[in-house]
Amino acid sequence: MDDKLIVGIADMKMAQGAGTLVTYALGSCIGICLYDPMIKLAALIHIMLPLNMEAGRKTPLKYADTGIRETLREMEARGASRARMIAKIAGGAKMFEVSGGNMGNIGVRNAESVRMTLKREGIRLTFEDVGGTVARTVFLNAADGQGIIRSYGKPDIIF
Amino acid sequence: MELKNYKDLNELEIDTLREIGSIGMGNAANSLSEMLGCEVRITLPEVRIMEYNHAIEWIGGPEAITAGVLVRISGDINGIMLSVQQLDFVNLIIGKIFDKKISTYEELTEIESSALIEIGNIMISTFINALSGLADINLNLTVPAFTVDMQGAIIAVPMAEYGGQSDYIMTIGGNFICEKKQVPCRLLLSPDIRSLNFLLRKLGVTNG
Repeated sequence: MDDKLIVGIADMKMAQGAGTLVTYALGSCIGICLYDPMIKLAALIHIMLPLNMEAGRKTPLKYADTGIRETLREMEARGASRARMIAKIAGGAKMFEVSGGNMGNIGVRNAESVRMTLKREGIRLTFEDVGGTVARTVFLNAADGQGIIRSYGKPDIIF
Repeated sequence: MELKNYKDLNELEIDTLREIGSIGMGNAANSLSEMLGCEVRITLPEVRIMEYNHAIEWIGGPEAITAGVLVRISGDINGIMLSVQQLDFVNLIIGKIFDKKISTYEELTEIESSALIEIGNIMISTFINALSGLADINLNLTVPAFTVDMQGAIIAVPMAEYGGQSDYIMTIGGNFICEKKQVPCRLLLSPDIRSLNFLLRKLGVTNG
């Protein structure tokens, strides 16, 4: 856990062979772990919103659809193959029970968009821990593709 | 007229927002004073417009646990207001009301959490009342929602709500001084971009 690369909001980082990727405090945001086990290439994306409708598309990593596509492109440029790749996702919680607006279901819509984009791009989704009301921190180990979810007041989940 | 985003605001507009912050925070401090039965003053409030990841660093890192009270604003302005209650602030409140001190949020009882919600709600309401008086606008507030969790995820709520419009978030913060001790008080007012522009026009600092 010494080589730790931090993934911010609307951000993505990759690591190959060794090292840990981490993204902190996912609320309604979703952390998407992509891993190609043969070449041990790991990517972790922290998306905030489901669909990119920006005119200029300056920040593709903020959105589930363009974030995943952009990351796949970069992984493939480093030799990854979609057939070998697996995806694991965590996040999409609802932090506050409040009426009005569209705030309540951003997490749900994020999860739907992530699933749909992965399916469309032909990536297997092998694990998900989404929804609920608690924030999650996600670690992804590039050596073996194993992940850990850390939440407040709950035991860690290893996936 | 073209809508201004947070980072396009000029000095005069930011000064105006700071003035709102000053009056709003002053009112919130007065109400806190009455509830706690001790004098509460404010330091100079600050308005910050920050990119998401900077905002999270500024508030003290993503994983620190904190309490948050959130209220949704509708009417002439749409937005979210959030009271982020870090441990010093929580101890000020429950120290005065229940004569108790906690070192982690797990020690909070239900009645103490209710007190935090109520205090957050009253501070937000007085702040919003001051704002609606100043700008001569009508605003409605929802009942407050409360959570204790990682602060990065809490302040990401207004970010996600308006993330399609802006990569920036505005925070109006300051410190309370109670019995010579400075206690950080973080009130985050996040109007949507259209409302921000409407507000600045109503206050007479933006043409159009």
